[in-house]
Amino acid sequence: MSIRKRIAAARRAVLAATLTVVSSLASAQTFTFTAIPDQDESKLTERFGRIADYLSKQVGAEVKYIPVKSYPAAVAAFRNNQVQLAWFGGLTGVQARNLVPGSEAIAQGAEDTAFKTYFIAHASTGLKNSAEFPAAIAGKSFTFGSKGSTSGRLMPEFFIRDHFKKAPDAIFSRVGFSGDHSRTMTLVESGAYDVGVLNYTVWDDAVKQGSVDTSKVSVIWTSPTYPDYQWTIRGDVDAAWGKGFKQKVQQALLDMKDPQLLQAFPRTGFVPAQNSDYAPIEKTAIELGIMDEIM
Amino acid sequence: MQSSSFPLIPVRDSSATAMVRTSALFVLVALLCLPWADLSISTRDPWQELARLGWGLLTPSFDNPLTLLEALANTLAFALQGVALGAVGGFLLALGYRRAAVRRFAAFIRAIHELFWALLFIQLAGLSPAAGVLAIAIPYAGTFAKIYGELFEEVDPSARQALPVGTGALSAFFFTELPQCFAHMVTYTRYRLECGIRSSAVLGFIGLPTVGFHLETALKQGQYSEAAALFYALVLVIVTLHGWMRAKLLPLYLLAVLVWLPPVAQFNGALVWRFFSEDIVPAPLRQGWNGEGLWRWLHALWSSQIAPGLGNTLVLALLALIGTGLVTLLTFPAISHLFGRPVTRAGGHFFLVLMRSAPEYLLAFVGLLLWGPSMLPAVVALSLHNGAIIAHLVGHYSDSLQLRDDAVTGLNRYLFEVLPRIYRTFLAFTLYRFEILMRETAMLGILGIPTLGFFIDSAFTEFRFDRAMLLLLVTALLNMSVDMLARTLRRRLHLSSQPESL
Amino acid sequence: MSGAMTSPVLFHLDEAVIGYGSRAVLRGCQLSIATGEKVALLGESGAGKTTLLRQLRSLRPADVAWCPQNTGLVPMLSVFHNIYMGRLDRHSFFYNLLNLVHPLAQPRDEIAALAQQLGLQEKLFTSVDKLSGGQQSRTSLGRALYQQRPVFLGDEPVSAVDEVQADQLLQLICARHETMVIALHDVALALRYCNRVIGLQGGRIALDQPASACDPAELLRLYAHA
Repeated sequence: MSIRKRIAAARRAVLAATLTVVSSLASAQTFTFTAIPDQDESKLTERFGRIADYLSKQVGAEVKYIPVKSYPAAVAAFRNNQVQLAWFGGLTGVQARNLVPGSEAIAQGAEDTAFKTYFIAHASTGLKNSAEFPAAIAGKSFTFGSKGSTSGRLMPEFFIRDHFKKAPDAIFSRVGFSGDHSRTMTLVESGAYDVGVLNYTVWDDAVKQGSVDTSKVSVIWTSPTYPDYQWTIRGDVDAAWGKGFKQKVQQALLDMKDPQLLQAFPRTGFVPAQNSDYAPIEKTAIELGIMDEIM
Repeated sequence: MQSSSFPLIPVRDSSATAMVRTSALFVLVALLCLPWADLSISTRDPWQELARLGWGLLTPSFDNPLTLLEALANTLAFALQGVALGAVGGFLLALGYRRAAVRRFAAFIRAIHELFWALLFIQLAGLSPAAGVLAIAIPYAGTFAKIYGELFEEVDPSARQALPVGTGALSAFFFTELPQCFAHMVTYTRYRLECGIRSSAVLGFIGLPTVGFHLETALKQGQYSEAAALFYALVLVIVTLHGWMRAKLLPLYLLAVLVWLPPVAQFNGALVWRFFSEDIVPAPLRQGWNGEGLWRWLHALWSSQIAPGLGNTLVLALLALIGTGLVTLLTFPAISHLFGRPVTRAGGHFFLVLMRSAPEYLLAFVGLLLWGPSMLPAVVALSLHNGAIIAHLVGHYSDSLQLRDDAVTGLNRYLFEVLPRIYRTFLAFTLYRFEILMRETAMLGILGIPTLGFFIDSAFTEFRFDRAMLLLLVTALLNMSVDMLARTLRRRLHLSSQPESL
Repeated sequence: MSGAMTSPVLFHLDEAVIGYGSRAVLRGCQLSIATGEKVALLGESGAGKTTLLRQLRSLRPADVAWCPQNTGLVPMLSVFHNIYMGRLDRHSFFYNLLNLVHPLAQPRDEIAALAQQLGLQEKLFTSVDKLSGGQQSRTSLGRALYQQRPVFLGDEPVSAVDEVQADQLLQLICARHETMVIALHDVALALRYCNRVIGLQGGRIALDQPASACDPAELLRLYAHA
């Protein structure tokens, strides 16, 4: 009996989760969003399911969350109108908005107005924290995070090139892409890579929780600030859900105050944003050759 | 001692010579590659992380068993649908495998990694079940075409020659080649289903709701107990495959997975059009013809990505090929009935199934912790993973050997009775694996080795489909060349590729 | 040389050189075979019997029931299917496919009758890989008989069966074909069932005469090393 109930529940859960993608297409009226948080990707569906409930209540329409893991897949879903709203990293947002004309950045995390990258190094390198750019990292082995990450790739590469006037390949003995901020931390902590770069909130959280051994790995430089994560919404949502819908969504995001909800991102709150806030990111991406110049 | 010198000089005319020469050639080429291969070891404190990983493997746990079951069901659904579709497509292609054009086409589609097919289809069909099914079906069709096609080619021609003149091509095929190959085809297809389950799991890395979806997260976050639970679940499915995958139940399974995960897609006409008319058009040509711009674009890509990518891919794949061969020769006796006892064989099976089920990414990560970033962890990861697969096949093949009752035992048996008999098969399996190795090098970006796959991945991350297409084309061309070379080599050696169980 | 000169000529070779690619197996073949002749091909293995038979087959593919030496059976198919294959050319693909999956009544009855004559009635639906060498050889012969062509070309069709059976089978072949050319290694059988003997030796036709004119001792010399 209870087993049968559980199976029925499982079936429903599966239909909801696995086929959300499909069903959300079928009923165009389900407002769908996705989010790739900068840390702790576990239990995405549970954590962001609560956000969906919240948004649903605030905007008066059915809202669904679908989990997407990779940046390219997330942008593809956004482009394909499978999701209309997405929590993107700085660079990914710029790329997505380029691919979907009319889409807009409507809110960013309170922390994202002045985001930072930490450069971290293994203790054996002898590198110490300094306010100056750590030029001594030249010749070491080095790892970025994910290729499409703003704080783990784009901005640190910009600061590195800015200082050395050379490409990372020409500076370091080896350049890896760990794929993730936590991985970067683990790899530098174990000494597999000498130096790495990561999102400052991930590091600060790890230190707070004691999950990183600061005698083995430490921050050697904090980058200047730049804008990062933001909510991007498609331009055609008003047409589908009625005039003013975009504003309603924006307001709902700005009004999100429940720490439990905000913990999913994790941010302390959201503030308004607009496309032009990300012009520096776009400029940097073009300079680095990660994006082609828009003609 | 007055005999007049030696009247006869024995001629060296052993079948083994050709095989030994081929092996030696590959080892030699790999040795020549060594100066370009960075195999340095640099590491400091791997043990803490490895201990955590080891502890995780010993204490598998997963909070939500329903999520796990659901992910497993999805993994099977993508795998079954993809492999079934791929087998049908591959069969049709195999009918024309004598034509060079068909062979090239098959080599082309299987050169591209499932993940890249998935990323392509996600662009066209959204993040839909159909994208995942096609991502498996298409490269698998290329592989099935090759294996089925070669089986058909190598069938004993005497039955066909005995047919009355004027027999239609299809009638002849269905009465001669097909029945003679059918058992091999079934064995091979079943083996590919195991591969399909792995591929399906790996598609989770980019967001399809398979086991890989959760596994990637768990690995990234260092939640090793959870990763272990997922990994063991996958291993369990693969180990028990022979038990539950019955020909009679197949229609039922297929029906079930079609209901569970209907392969629907949402093709957005405008996007598909834009993809072909704009996205994949080289950037300098989007505003009209610009020969000079195109030349600069090509030149820049060649020198910054294609040339180094080709070099790294080939060096890495060659070294991994030799490693794969060594791992195979060392480990296949562990599961062979000609050696050991039931207990050691069970242990051997366990080790091999772990190695071949573990994503290369995981093995590479362990290697990275141990030896630091270089080609070394990549070579070791690829060798272990692929060596375990081939050892599994060679071990099974060795079980079919009939040794005489008084055959020697132990190392002598290995060297004199078994090795010469399995070597041809071993060589065929291993050479076939080369193209798979080239494809899999794409997965190892964490090691900082810029292979072709690494650059393709970057191009997708940067939404530069024009570059991705060009790089995919280069990869496919490389694979077609390798395929042609292997075909020549195979013909020269008369290597039956024994594809029933590649 | 041979009899039945009044009958139409079926096969004619004029100073032919026969071989594979650039490798000649038989040279200077001067040969005419007419309808109604029963020809035995003799010669030691490697003398070119198979080559000559293949050449003859290629001259009149549509009239020939062909029984190769390496049985050419499909091991995993049944006796029924292997014999059925003798008529694959007469039916559409779908009819053939149907019979592959599920034998239809008409061909089943025909083939069962034939199998009865070959002593294979009990093995009709046994796959040929489970048969003895002699049974396989009879299946292969059955496939040739089922073709129902006027000319039988057989390459050692009875070499894998015992003498009594060989006798019966050759009777069957003779009864069902107007003309036949068979490679044999049993001189006595050749003289009993054929009216003409062709001996091959050293890549040439060494002997060609009516069976009635043959001296068994002379024929044995074909098997002596040159």
